[in-house]
Amino acid sequence: MGLRIAIDTGGTFTDVVAIDEETGEIAAVKTPSTPADPSIGLVEGVQKILDTLDRGAEDVRMLLHGSTVATNAVLEHKFDGLGLLVTRGTRHMIEIARQSVPDGYGNSFFWVKPPRLVPLHLVREVPGRMRFDGSELEPIDEKATLKAVKELVEDGVRCIGVCLLHSYANGDHEQRIGELIRKTYPDVFVSLSSVVLPEYREYERAMTTLIDVLVKPYCKTYLQNAADKIRAKSGDIPFLIMQSNGGVVKHSTAGERPVTMLLSGPAAGILGSIHMAQLAGYKDILTIDVGGTSTDVAIIENYKPMYTSASMVESYPVKTPMLDIVTVGSGGGSIAWTDPYGSLKVGPRSAGADPGPICYRKGGTKPTVTDAAIVLGRLPAALIGGEIKLDLDAARRAYDELGRQFGMPAEEIAAGALEIAAVNQVFGIRQVTTSRGREPGQYAMVAFGGAGGLFAAEVADFLGIKTIISPPNPGNLCAFGLHVSDVRRDYIRTLVRQQSSANAAEIIEAWADLTKLGVDDIRAEGIPREKIMIQKVADLRYFGEGHEVQVDIPPELSDAEAIDYMWKNLHRVHDQTFGFHYEGEQDVELVNLRVQAVGTQHRPSLKQDIAIRQPAVPFAKRKVYWRNSGWVNCPLYRRTELAIGQNIEGPAVIEEYGSTVVVPASWTLRSDSYGNLILEKSA
Amino acid sequence: MLNKVSRTKLGPIELEVIHGTIRAAELEIEAAVERTARSPMIRDQHDYRVALFDAKGRKLTGRSYSAIVEPVFTYFEEGDIHPGDVFFWNDPYNSCGGIGHVPDLCTTVPIFFGDRLIGFSQVFGHHDDIGGAVPGSLPVHATDSWMEGALIPPIKLYEGGKLNKAAFKIITRNSRLSEHLAGDLDAEIGAARLGSRRIVALAERYGIETLEEAFDQILKNTAEIFRREILPKIKDGVYHFEDYIEADGVDEPRLHALRLTMTKTPEKIVLDFNGTDPEAKGPINWALDEMEGRYFRKWLAPALRSLAGSPERAAEIDSNEGVLDIIDVIFPAKGTLITPNFGKPTGMRFFLMLRSLGVFTACLSKATGGKMPADHETIRIWGLTGGSTQNDFYLFREVLGGGSPGRPWADGSDVVHIVPNSKNLPAEFSETRYPILVEQLALKEDSGGAGFRRGGFGYDKIIRALGDCRLISNADRSMLGCYGVNGGRAGLNYQVSVIDKKGKETVHPGMSDTVKVKAGTSVRVVTTGGGGWGDPLKREIDKVVYDVQCGLVSRKAARDFYGVVLKKAGRKWTADVTATKALRREMSKARGRLGMFDRGPYFEKLKKKGAVTYPDKWKDPDAGWVATAID
Repeated sequence: MGLRIAIDTGGTFTDVVAIDEETGEIAAVKTPSTPADPSIGLVEGVQKILDTLDRGAEDVRMLLHGSTVATNAVLEHKFDGLGLLVTRGTRHMIEIARQSVPDGYGNSFFWVKPPRLVPLHLVREVPGRMRFDGSELEPIDEKATLKAVKELVEDGVRCIGVCLLHSYANGDHEQRIGELIRKTYPDVFVSLSSVVLPEYREYERAMTTLIDVLVKPYCKTYLQNAADKIRAKSGDIPFLIMQSNGGVVKHSTAGERPVTMLLSGPAAGILGSIHMAQLAGYKDILTIDVGGTSTDVAIIENYKPMYTSASMVESYPVKTPMLDIVTVGSGGGSIAWTDPYGSLKVGPRSAGADPGPICYRKGGTKPTVTDAAIVLGRLPAALIGGEIKLDLDAARRAYDELGRQFGMPAEEIAAGALEIAAVNQVFGIRQVTTSRGREPGQYAMVAFGGAGGLFAAEVADFLGIKTIISPPNPGNLCAFGLHVSDVRRDYIRTLVRQQSSANAAEIIEAWADLTKLGVDDIRAEGIPREKIMIQKVADLRYFGEGHEVQVDIPPELSDAEAIDYMWKNLHRVHDQTFGFHYEGEQDVELVNLRVQAVGTQHRPSLKQDIAIRQPAVPFAKRKVYWRNSGWVNCPLYRRTELAIGQNIEGPAVIEEYGSTVVVPASWTLRSDSYGNLILEKSA
Repeated sequence: MLNKVSRTKLGPIELEVIHGTIRAAELEIEAAVERTARSPMIRDQHDYRVALFDAKGRKLTGRSYSAIVEPVFTYFEEGDIHPGDVFFWNDPYNSCGGIGHVPDLCTTVPIFFGDRLIGFSQVFGHHDDIGGAVPGSLPVHATDSWMEGALIPPIKLYEGGKLNKAAFKIITRNSRLSEHLAGDLDAEIGAARLGSRRIVALAERYGIETLEEAFDQILKNTAEIFRREILPKIKDGVYHFEDYIEADGVDEPRLHALRLTMTKTPEKIVLDFNGTDPEAKGPINWALDEMEGRYFRKWLAPALRSLAGSPERAAEIDSNEGVLDIIDVIFPAKGTLITPNFGKPTGMRFFLMLRSLGVFTACLSKATGGKMPADHETIRIWGLTGGSTQNDFYLFREVLGGGSPGRPWADGSDVVHIVPNSKNLPAEFSETRYPILVEQLALKEDSGGAGFRRGGFGYDKIIRALGDCRLISNADRSMLGCYGVNGGRAGLNYQVSVIDKKGKETVHPGMSDTVKVKAGTSVRVVTTGGGGWGDPLKREIDKVVYDVQCGLVSRKAARDFYGVVLKKAGRKWTADVTATKALRREMSKARGRLGMFDRGPYFEKLKKKGAVTYPDKWKDPDAGWVATAID
């Protein structure tokens, strides 16, 4: 009788999806987000779904939560009171960064360096020095350190990041500094780089550490608040937080290492996509999550998402392992406009959710992609099950106006806006696939998010993709995805060793240390040992190269075999990733050892729809405009009425609560027993 | 069905899709190069460029500069270009500057739709080695092109899809790192072919006529953007400027001048480089004078974007072939720094690349009442090399940036590199790989030229050598600073020195590669600060106090350059506002009118000594130009 409830807090709405652990039945609601104190929206969301299901708070067995609180703290530039301690001689480290200017030649003339997280006068040097092999060159000077900390605190610092040279090889100095600060100033938040990211490259490690400590006060306070409110109603139930690596951890764990919550927003959607695609029978997929302002893209192969440790939040690098999700192109709120030279453009500006598209009657005055879809008849003129009537006339007037500038009718320019929005996505997706050496045509596309089904087929046509999956409730796949998450933590240690001179025992020991950490931590999350999976990974490169590839070690291998496997398989992975290898020609260098510790969670099994229904008939017809065939009277179907296995030839429009799937001519649609709609390109 | 027709006609939708595809293809080709190339200069320092051209060789892409296609036309008739061909060259004397030195290897793929040539896709990159006197193919003391490496004029490396194996063997045989070279070539050709597929897809979708019409329109729009947004901000007239390379690595150091006369009319900018000094014996030449300077004009044009409404707008403006409509160049007769006779060495032509931008932007400063950014110098290579056997040989080499210029809208950025996304080496990487210890990783105090908007700061790096080794430094601007504009002061110059165990510091020339460094001694590298922009006495007092608080500007400089009188209470600096105002009034009165340009104290000294001389009919270009007051 227990309920698992997932709450995905977005910028505008909080999505809530509940699953009954016994029946597998799913329910979903939406409530407005409450950015000032997101815990209010969270509690309201939980209450709303309980009301909908006519259940009580005592029925809740587990809460899963995706939150943007960490990301927002960075995006809103809440950097006050941040300080940094570094090794003597490196006080300008974050000013210098990596000396690079983004983008084109000549930009060094006009490009302006963004402000640093910590102003230089709040960066202090401390004596003491480690070497790359972890040996101590100069001991730490506790007196000088305390003086530096005292001065920072006097200057208003409340959060201190500590990043000393080579602390990934030996974190003793940082540990000691951490102890000194905690003892002397218990109210000051501290993050140590050797704990947050024990990986070489001092600038990136420092930035990741600073982001961690800067979001700590916000995340800790928020999570504690939310946990208290939940406990008051439902008792001491698990309250699990989504991280950017696609795994969940206890709220208290997340609060200690909050940098892992950063950019976690879209992660759960990827898990939801994988789950639904697997049920539909697809293992290699490309996901597009089309929101109001942008579209997120990810590649999944053999049910496994890709990971990256090269993410940026604005101009700040964050190197903790994350799902490799790339934001591209435009979204439903992207604005169509004319530049002064007579070109039609779509985005990057967006009307977002507020004021939103013109047709939402919330004060929007600029024609958006959504407005175009209304004008073209691709979207119904009422939103979310007919509750909100949309202003078709106003949208039409805006496109009339835009069309006049080019001597074109409203529908033609609106169709153009949609086409440009689609190719903007195509460009972004191609960059993602090309830079990873993939061809988009080899994947099925999972299209979700509010506008996922709107022009997925156009995007697929450009990319040579033949199959599109629209999962059920595409608007809240992120909240659903929380339900199919596992507990997960990542561990890394830099250990630069060449194959020709490496000591196997040292590598085995380091991996064993990381594994023990992982097992202990996941067990502390309440997962029994037999449900914990350990994945060892090695980051390797050819000696002389500046970039690494990751080799996953099969779990069944013994320690000795694992090391052998790692050296041998660098060549294969390098070839796969970059298209060449130097097997037998160049020495291989180990750079980092990683361990991914995953605690498998019980997944509620979804209720399969096996009811035999009459094939659905169109509930109405509507004129829909296409650039190559003009206005066509298209059948409209309700998604809920589709029978399993029923084939519907495009052009057609499938409507449901909160979302629409457009099936152009030359595409055929069917639905499966899990509520997926599958679009296939007709031969 | 009616719409089928309108679909293939060029309308705003087609134009945006085609233009967008070209821009996206440029990024995609770059992604492909970075994924598969092997030379660290390409992979990590990002020293490569890509471009798409139409069938006439007009450049369609616009984020960045590139090489050009014309060298192919010089060697091959149109009827001799076929599907499956891949052209290849690195000859700096057939490239009008696009390929400026021999390590830049250029591959060009013709794009065919059926049997019709519709364009070219091109990639060139800076490779590890193509032979010559020293590893890396950039000898500082080269006195001719052949000392710099193998010279290959445009050839068909592939003909009709078939590799010319003999040519490939000759090329790779001439490199010390032939494996890398072969891999790089494959990567570049693969990436160029990828770009070609995107253009073919456009032709399939829209037809050749519509596509070519769109190409015309894209170039026309670019010219129109420059004409409407940039040219009106430049006052019509004739302007002069000159700037210098300090040494050529061969002769005794002396100033080698690049001279420019810019004539601005309502429709055009004409750049006349007559008066430029003779070609140098050493590798500082740059062979630009072919094919109407089509490359050089495209190289210079992006600097004009600094006059766009905002830095964000500047970043949006493409510079494709359309810019040729608004810029012309006139070259001096054969035998100057930029019109060298065949065979003169060109390895360090990047000094002139920056200096040419500098003389152009200085003329623009004169023509805009000082609204252009000041000067910056952002490429130099330094390193330590040691070991004697193949096993212990090492080359620790860094391409270090410098401070970017002060400009009306912002202070200069610190230690930037002109090559986009080119990164420095982390200390933790360098110490792991090489026998060195990074003792200091810092910005150089007071290096940014003082100004209302000051220049960005250069590096002040100190590296201790843990073994005996040799110092390499390929740097200009080691005596002259980057000039300041509109009353801003010059930035500090580059300086490389060795500090012995007793702390004694010995300065070495910017062009050095024979200095011995003993184990335990340290090398200090100070890179250039950007020139300042605008009257330093007008800089907001708060900003000066902040820079002092951060330790980037000294108390002395705050007083001497900015006229700010400071007090310190505990750790906190504050300004004595009354005293500051008084001091600023006094300084302002004492100095008289502020000049438009400041080239720093070393230049003033040379001038006083009479070491700065001008050719006939050429006057001191700085004389008589004063700064525009800042309100």
